[in-house]
Amino acid sequence: MLLSLMLCVSAFAQTTLRGKVVDAGTNTPVVGATVLLGNQNVATTTNAEGEFQLLYLDATDEEVIVEAEGYVGTIELVLLEENKTVEMPAIQLAPDIAKQTQDEILLNLTEEEMNDDEGRSQSQASASSATTDVFNSTTSFAWSTARYRNRGYASTAETYYIEGLPFNSSERGQFNYSAMGGLNDASRYKDVINPMEATSFTFGGLGQATNYLMGASRYAQGWKVGVAGTNRNYKARVNATYASGTMANGWSVIAQLAYRFSPYVDNKGIIGEGIKYYSLGYFVSAEKAWSNGNRLRFLTFGAPTERGQNAAVTQEVYDLTGSINYNPYWGYQDGKVRNSRIVKSFDPTFIAAFDLKIDEHQKMKFALGYHYSMYSNSAVNFYNAPDPRPDYYRNLPSFYWDGQIANPNNETSAGQLFDENGAHYPWGLFIGEDMNGKSLGTGVIADDGYLIGPSIDPAQYNNLVNLWKNRDNTTTQINWDNLYAANYANNANDPNAPARYFVERRHNDIQESMATINYQNTKYDHLKMTAALEAKVSQGIHYKTMDDLLGANQWIDIDAFAERDIKELASNTGFTQEYIAQIVQNDLYHPNRVIRQGDRFGYDYRINMNHLKAWFQNEWTFHEVDLYYGLSLEYNSMQRTSRMFNGRQAYLATLAYRRGTMWKYLGDDTDQYSSPKSTYYDRTHHFVDPAIKFGATYKINGRNRVKLNAMAMTSAPYARDAYISQRVHGRVVDNIYVHDTARTIAEFYSSSEKVASADLTYEFNYPIVRGRVTGFFTQSWNGTELNGYYDDESRTFVNQALTGIDKRYMGIEAAIAVKLGTYFTLTGAASVGDYRYTSDAMAVSSAENGMPMTQNMVTKELIYETRDKVLLNGLKLATGPQANASLKLSFFHPKMWFADVTVSYHDWNYLSVAPSRRMQGLYTGERTDGTNVNGWFGDSYANAIETTDGQALRVSIDPETQMAVYENAVLDANGVPVLKYPYNLMTMQESLVATNPLNRFLIDASIGKLIYLKNRQSVSINLSVTNLTNNTHFKTGGYQQARLPRAVRQGQKDYENSVITANAWKYPSKYYYAWGANFFLSVTYKF
Amino acid sequence: MKTIKNTLYFVLCTVVLIALGSCEPRALTEEDVFFTEDQVAELTSDGQIYHLNDFLDQFMTEQGNFASDTCPYRERSYDATHELYLYSVDTIPTNGPGVYIRGRITTDDYSGNFYKAMVIQEVVNGVQQNLRISVDLGSSHGLYQMGQEIIIRCNGLAVGRYANQPQLCIPSYNNNIYAMNANQKVGWCPGRIQASVFRRATHLIGKPDRSQLKYDEYTLSDLYRDIDLKPALTEAGMDAVRKADGRLIIIRNVHFTGEFDNNGTLAKCDTLHPDSSSNANVFAPTTDNIGYPQSRVLQDNMSNKIMCSSSEYSKFAHFYLPGADRHGVTDCPNWTGSVTGILGWYLDKASTLASNKLTGYEWSVTPRGIPGIGISDIEMYNDHDDPWIPTEYDPRKQ
Repeated sequence: MLLSLMLCVSAFAQTTLRGKVVDAGTNTPVVGATVLLGNQNVATTTNAEGEFQLLYLDATDEEVIVEAEGYVGTIELVLLEENKTVEMPAIQLAPDIAKQTQDEILLNLTEEEMNDDEGRSQSQASASSATTDVFNSTTSFAWSTARYRNRGYASTAETYYIEGLPFNSSERGQFNYSAMGGLNDASRYKDVINPMEATSFTFGGLGQATNYLMGASRYAQGWKVGVAGTNRNYKARVNATYASGTMANGWSVIAQLAYRFSPYVDNKGIIGEGIKYYSLGYFVSAEKAWSNGNRLRFLTFGAPTERGQNAAVTQEVYDLTGSINYNPYWGYQDGKVRNSRIVKSFDPTFIAAFDLKIDEHQKMKFALGYHYSMYSNSAVNFYNAPDPRPDYYRNLPSFYWDGQIANPNNETSAGQLFDENGAHYPWGLFIGEDMNGKSLGTGVIADDGYLIGPSIDPAQYNNLVNLWKNRDNTTTQINWDNLYAANYANNANDPNAPARYFVERRHNDIQESMATINYQNTKYDHLKMTAALEAKVSQGIHYKTMDDLLGANQWIDIDAFAERDIKELASNTGFTQEYIAQIVQNDLYHPNRVIRQGDRFGYDYRINMNHLKAWFQNEWTFHEVDLYYGLSLEYNSMQRTSRMFNGRQAYLATLAYRRGTMWKYLGDDTDQYSSPKSTYYDRTHHFVDPAIKFGATYKINGRNRVKLNAMAMTSAPYARDAYISQRVHGRVVDNIYVHDTARTIAEFYSSSEKVASADLTYEFNYPIVRGRVTGFFTQSWNGTELNGYYDDESRTFVNQALTGIDKRYMGIEAAIAVKLGTYFTLTGAASVGDYRYTSDAMAVSSAENGMPMTQNMVTKELIYETRDKVLLNGLKLATGPQANASLKLSFFHPKMWFADVTVSYHDWNYLSVAPSRRMQGLYTGERTDGTNVNGWFGDSYANAIETTDGQALRVSIDPETQMAVYENAVLDANGVPVLKYPYNLMTMQESLVATNPLNRFLIDASIGKLIYLKNRQSVSINLSVTNLTNNTHFKTGGYQQARLPRAVRQGQKDYENSVITANAWKYPSKYYYAWGANFFLSVTYKF
Repeated sequence: MKTIKNTLYFVLCTVVLIALGSCEPRALTEEDVFFTEDQVAELTSDGQIYHLNDFLDQFMTEQGNFASDTCPYRERSYDATHELYLYSVDTIPTNGPGVYIRGRITTDDYSGNFYKAMVIQEVVNGVQQNLRISVDLGSSHGLYQMGQEIIIRCNGLAVGRYANQPQLCIPSYNNNIYAMNANQKVGWCPGRIQASVFRRATHLIGKPDRSQLKYDEYTLSDLYRDIDLKPALTEAGMDAVRKADGRLIIIRNVHFTGEFDNNGTLAKCDTLHPDSSSNANVFAPTTDNIGYPQSRVLQDNMSNKIMCSSSEYSKFAHFYLPGADRHGVTDCPNWTGSVTGILGWYLDKASTLASNKLTGYEWSVTPRGIPGIGISDIEMYNDHDDPWIPTEYDPRKQ
């Protein structure tokens, strides 16, 4: 952490300490090293020559604590004499090769977490960590395997800057690590600020703030080449870096190339199964330093990358395949492995920055940047053809259970199968007698170890089980042969027919232009003033292209799923086939467009976003107390534009027009669609969000201090959450005002999330022991989220916009580092938190294809959007483990041997719940909008709600609060009705924690050696092993499937015929596991 | 100079590594994905390819070999009077000699009138042999197209009868407690072969060739000379029916009467909304999700009748019958022509056999589509030789 203290100007002689920090092997200056005097609690950082100077010191014995990114810290003793200047001999720092390796692993980990189409990560570790903070430096790597998140915050809470320019995506809120893939040197130097603390490069946010510093002058002169091997997703890496150091003309230059690669490895069950990986990273930076302190930097970096992906799958699949590395995304083509999900990313970035030193007390920083993030992911799509996914639920043995799980309430069907001990088999309640009361006999233990009921044919069941267990290629992987065959057969029957299968590429690009001006003034005693303006113009660019027609002649640009779903629903909507043919068009002005390889199709829209932020901050530094406060005002806008006019939008426009309602996605501007245009514009939405933060540090003495930070802010929803179906139309979530309808401040801010946060820290720093304890509390209100899922009740893909989400994060984090003699350091860290929802949410659900969700049973009016509460209150946030602890023993020998072992324990880790399974209407039979739910837990068919003393369930909805009132229902701690087994499995929040406590531990170790050669050359070797004990029971994340098991009740009309069945295992949750034992071996040669 | 050399060397190494890494599987050709006769011979060298009728004779028994007294066949499937089973399941040994059948697919499920079912046809000595296949594969026509010849290894599968219709299948226990009269349908019966199992058991022989399909053309009079309208209630009588089931036929010179089969008697269709009336004058109005096929009467000028069978889930379910419209069905006789489809004999109540109450309406022809919706199986003209153009029920015009 950078900390500059402003000292009183004095004309008198003064006690001064000067010195220089250099690399122990090469004697090159170490730039940006932190030099801290332990007793007096003053600090500074080294300049480009590695030099430092501290003035106005107390004359005393002093410990000089020196730390720098990528180096092992050291402590030197010095005697400061009154009014004298002490010149220290050069302080040598040894490169921390273990830390460098860990940083590289972390960088890759975070990049690979960017794993889905929208670039949303399931979970994300922080790749940046403050070296000087004991807690962060201990946990950032050790806890990354468990997908620990700092204080439970989403990755959007962490703010990232590069050379002072804001790099969190305006559209998604996240930082894209793939931009720096493999460029460990480019990302080496950074300022990392703990949540809410004062810093000069940003106002900051809830989480940590990181500013990557890529000026060439930071790098020591010389070459560095390295090779590395690993058994992770990529198998090898080569890299080379050249840095000129600061040349006589003031210029310095650095360039790095890093290539990481893995071809497909045809070996099932390995880490990275079915994954290829190629990434070539480049980084070039040039910096000019003038003697007057001004600096000018130009830099560019990027990493064109192509990599395969893997998927979360159900526990059944993991168990059958016997591997946590099973990957359903690949299959054999021509005898070779081919992955269907290939990410291509490339983020060319250009930055120019100028540091202007106005005088000794004033400086300004200017930065301009341009960043074009190209991110695309491929996927197999299909049309009028069978689902090609090998792990599709109907392809699994458990599908045989469907219909054979007895409804415990239905006595006419409910023979219950008992195991040998007379207890229910925990995996289910198979029928043991038919609905006429006839006993069917006993079940058998199948080849997967489950006790299956007598109504399941064990031969068929076991056949499928064994195909999976033996990893039969056509059963467990994508059958590329079939996909080609379908298309070739199609060509033969009709050369003009659309492809049955094809590989499409979904592009989610974003281009950003940004600028910042940062002014810092230390003219006044004890006061540092910072003011800054940052601006960013962004455009999200979303479209699909045809990647591979798989032998087909062409594709026709219609929405395949819309066609299927609409036709299934046609009888309900009264649509004619002719009308449907219009609705399924993706571009009504180019109907039935023929698509061939490389063509753009499906959707083609932009999200234009403007961001402007002004903030200032005052920091006062006194001998015993430091104070700061900051204010910020932020403006954001978003507007969707589309280059296609699709049939679903047109249909919904017609509906809105007929009803005379002004739907937000149309507003009053429907005329623009009356003729073909190159671009159609939706409304612009504006947001203004203020923020305030303040804090104080009380320095008990030089070694002990107490810090308080607090913040309050509002923040606009991100564009990705604001549009309920942005591929189809520009309709925004309910609480975003339309600009001519906001009449009050409350209405204007009705969509902004409100956040208040505070933390209190005690820090101590002694020669032998140092550490900190922090308590934190954060409450947010009125968050917005968007979900999409296939809805069985309405039998179509549904978008669900959640608003009014309140969350609370509270907990304690602590760390301590103890020096054990000369060579060893023992570090302990722990974090215990409680991160949970503190309110229910409101959900608006609508079909992506514009079809009605339900029907008013009285008026028969079709209802296109339903509104209901989602019962989230009290549930835990799925943001990684909430209880974590680790112990790390580090070894450092002056002859440059490094080693460490870390043992970590993780607990209280929860799976995210599917909001669709927690809708209030599922417990009441009626949504808050008054519509009936077609099949709910309390109806007479499921009868799944526990009641008190066997009384009949009675529910109603309070018309004012829209809260359900339950009579006779047994309620849980959050006021939600308790469901009977096995229905309770469908809605409960799952724990991800392994049953056996021993499987909650992870052990990492590393060993390294740095060898200095002649002529300032060196070779470093490091081996890092993660999950040393090969714990394959450690779940890191996943999701609960949205679909509920349902059956159709015969003899009933649509919208009245659905029943939730007792087969809780039909759509089980899907999980990600932490990799088993994996290593990273690197050798680096510097010359 | 040394620096430049080092740089060049690194760049060269990188380029080589990139080039090594760019190996991708080549695109598959038609030769890669369709079996040749040589491959068929190699595949079947461990066993025998059976003609479809021989396959039924060899493996399908009257009683089936699967169910037991404790775990019996579906209720109401056994006619004790005549000792006939409408439902049966015979499993085919998993091990032992390979049991293969081959045939060309005659169905297409695009329109939805066939659902998770297909029929294959084998022409033996110029005569059709057919077999239904029940497979849990939606949109199967995407992979198994009409006209595609396939070969199936049947070991581990089963052959059985569902409502007397023979089919390749697996044993499945019907426990749909939400069905109408569920307790009368509970029990073992032929079920759908799991999709991945079927895909693994099946190979495509050559490209699809619809011209190779054999259509038996009939007038209704001719048809009823070829099949028994009311078969003898013996195993032999039933066997003849079962062998005729699945035949691909064209019936000439018929028209819709605007009637439907009302439990053995015929009744006139109405003009109500197909969602609310199961008697609406469209191909297949609602059954309120019971899902039974809807019958509409076809008749020739000799007053012979056969049912045209359609599903309420088909895409043409709400299309008016030829000659019908929102005003009624009065114009139906003026539209005559041919109906193509799969011949079937469907009976799921053994009590009908026991009481000898067959009506003749058990026979039906199931079209695979109508003009504009899938395979164009209904071709009719009016007195002016205008072709029938299907129109759909439109609630906005009522």
